[in-house]
Amino acid sequence: MEKKTVVAEKSAPAQALLESVELELLRAPALAPLSPLPLEVLVPEARQQTPAVGQRATRPDGRLHGLGQTKFIDDFYLPGMLFAKIKRAGVASARIVSIDTKEAEAMPGVVAVLTGAEIPCNSFGPSLKDQPVLADTRVFHAGDGVAAVAAVTEQIAAEAIEKIKVEYEMLTPVLDPLESLKLETPGLHAPNPNIYGHKVIKKGDIAKGFAESDHIFERTFRTQMVEHVPLEPHASVATWDANGRVTIYSTLGRITLGRSDVARTLGIPMSRVRMISTIVGGNFGGKNEITTEPVVALLSKKTGRPVKCLFTRPDEFISSTTRHPLIMDYKTGVSKEGKILARQIRLVLDGGAYCSWSETTLGKACILSAGPYNIENLYAEAFVVYTNKTMTGAMRGFGAPQVCFAYESQMDDIATALKIDPMEIRLLNAFTNGSLSPTGQTLHSVVVKETLIQAAQRFGWNGAPS
Amino acid sequence: MKRRGRGIACMWYPIGFTASANPSAAVVKVNEDGTATLLTGTVETGQGSLTVLAQIAAQALGIATDDVHVVSADTDTTPMDTGAIASRTTYVTGNAVMLAAENAKKILFEVAAPLLGVEPAHLEAKDHKIQVKGFPQRNMHIGDVAEHARGVKGTPPIGSATFNPAVLKLDPETGQGKPFATYVYATQIAEVDVDDETGEVEVLRIVASHDCGAPINPMLVEGQVEGGISMGVGFALQEEMLFDSSGRLINPNLTNYIMPTSLDMPSVEVDIVDSYDETGPFGAKGVGEPTCVSTAAAILNAIHNAVGVRVTSLPATAEKVFAAIQAKRAQEAKLVTAG
Repeated sequence: MEKKTVVAEKSAPAQALLESVELELLRAPALAPLSPLPLEVLVPEARQQTPAVGQRATRPDGRLHGLGQTKFIDDFYLPGMLFAKIKRAGVASARIVSIDTKEAEAMPGVVAVLTGAEIPCNSFGPSLKDQPVLADTRVFHAGDGVAAVAAVTEQIAAEAIEKIKVEYEMLTPVLDPLESLKLETPGLHAPNPNIYGHKVIKKGDIAKGFAESDHIFERTFRTQMVEHVPLEPHASVATWDANGRVTIYSTLGRITLGRSDVARTLGIPMSRVRMISTIVGGNFGGKNEITTEPVVALLSKKTGRPVKCLFTRPDEFISSTTRHPLIMDYKTGVSKEGKILARQIRLVLDGGAYCSWSETTLGKACILSAGPYNIENLYAEAFVVYTNKTMTGAMRGFGAPQVCFAYESQMDDIATALKIDPMEIRLLNAFTNGSLSPTGQTLHSVVVKETLIQAAQRFGWNGAPS
Repeated sequence: MKRRGRGIACMWYPIGFTASANPSAAVVKVNEDGTATLLTGTVETGQGSLTVLAQIAAQALGIATDDVHVVSADTDTTPMDTGAIASRTTYVTGNAVMLAAENAKKILFEVAAPLLGVEPAHLEAKDHKIQVKGFPQRNMHIGDVAEHARGVKGTPPIGSATFNPAVLKLDPETGQGKPFATYVYATQIAEVDVDDETGEVEVLRIVASHDCGAPINPMLVEGQVEGGISMGVGFALQEEMLFDSSGRLINPNLTNYIMPTSLDMPSVEVDIVDSYDETGPFGAKGVGEPTCVSTAAAILNAIHNAVGVRVTSLPATAEKVFAAIQAKRAQEAKLVTAG
């Protein structure tokens, strides 16, 4: 009866619209085009060719993206679904004295609140398990989650997290990685030291190499912290069945590890966790570890309803992993012809609040830091340290873009000083098949010179070898 | 006035880490009509990996890309995978897919061999057919063989496999050893205009020559390179997360954290260098991450070439470049005065 009254109150044009268009169509999400499915499609020829390898085959998901039919997490709606929001600490370093959630819980529309103390195993991390799902005793960076709310709408959840009161005992943050590197600086994650990763690569004799050098070049290079900024932010939806099995739809790029981390943090067998990744809207290394997944799973368990959490753009910046800033000291000795005879490198990686994928980044940065060049005498040392900033982790290149900036800048400094063409000095030093890498690995399928020559010819570099 | 400059940067990047286990598994099922289903635990995160894996399975079975349907990223239905990380999907998961398809093909060959009157070793899969090597007219359609395998022999053609680049520990003191299965190489050359009155840098053109082994899908390689360059331009000139003295991020939004838009993109020319790695699936290595590695270095070298200043920290914002130009002018003026 009530519904009829509402329709009768509509204005005449609205009434006409309702009568002329099928209501189902109006309710349907804005998907184009409204044509019967499956669409009659012409399969692009490259997808039908044999042999398949080498073909410029189009992606089947491309059509779905173009038509707006791809189901990203934000397009998922399960009946009775709640929306979760995570409250961020907003302070870089503090002890948590108390968390008062009463006012948030009393709000109409709020169904459940979750704090770190309720998480069965409140730690995770790919190499060091130093990161909490939600901070319960200590805040290590301003983006730490301290509580989460599930409510009937996203807006109510957002308002509710503002009503949660957290009392902090403020501590002085350590923000400078060089400060953190000093042994007298108190450990953030005491009793663990601030230097939580160290790597050395030693080859030949640098003292001898520098002694034989005609010129020595020294400079310090620095890079900044950047975000992956995927178009689709981190998101997940969790739903339990009556047998105590949870299904999580997630934006994770590695579900095997994701399932194991969810099972561990929830304290349930892996056989009771199903992790499904949809087509993910951008990753670049930022979606390698769990973020919202245990939170939505526990809120869903608490409420008996499906729960979704979608990061806002600020969440993405302050609480997901970022690229390691590096401080890179380079000292290179060369002959007067421009041949590199010795190189000494020290890298300090700003690891931020937690380890994440710092171990991998440290290793790759250190191994790659000498560049794709034959250097007989090399000493590269790398450290990664904690600071009270957004944690750094995997990001496209794992330290390689940072060290490339340093070794290639110095290569041009050397070329300029010795009046050698930048192309020539690279060709003189570049790896070839059978070259030994800084770790003594014999390299195969090496094409550095080929890429140099091809790029020079395409660019029209003066004096490019033909 | 605007000064033009050009800069080169080379790079190398590892594919298939071996310092710890790095496995992928795959399952390939050949349907009774000669199409196939591939199960993989990796995740499509926008790079086109599922298309590349379909091409690898199709190549091994002698069918077309469109004949392979890929089921991915579900821990209940797909086998384990280390994931969409470290530029490993084409190389590691690709090798697993190739081996799984080979195992399914082995069943097809065993079924087809007596029907074609030869040993299984004399057969090949090509153009939707199982045929005798050197005698392509002696063949059966792959669908007929698959149907015979299931319906007559009771051996449905299903193959599974895992691949893991051999795990090798490095010397802890010197770091010596073999930390990666293989490496890719690249050179990018940037051309820029630098306004010496404002420090503003415009990237006009980037030429990129990349090694990815033998490309499984050249179009997707080009797409990766273009995307990597846009990320590299942001890293070089614009993007930076800034913290206040209390450790709070002051620009956690896209209003104040500036990323390159299509208007900031230079013209990009991509070449794929001839290369073949015998350890990769059909000669392929990988391409995802290496594409963004040398862009910033090339741009910074181009700035140096244009205005003679070495900016030693990223990003090279207009303020930073202008300050470096002013410092250089002051230095030169001093020299003139002193001289």
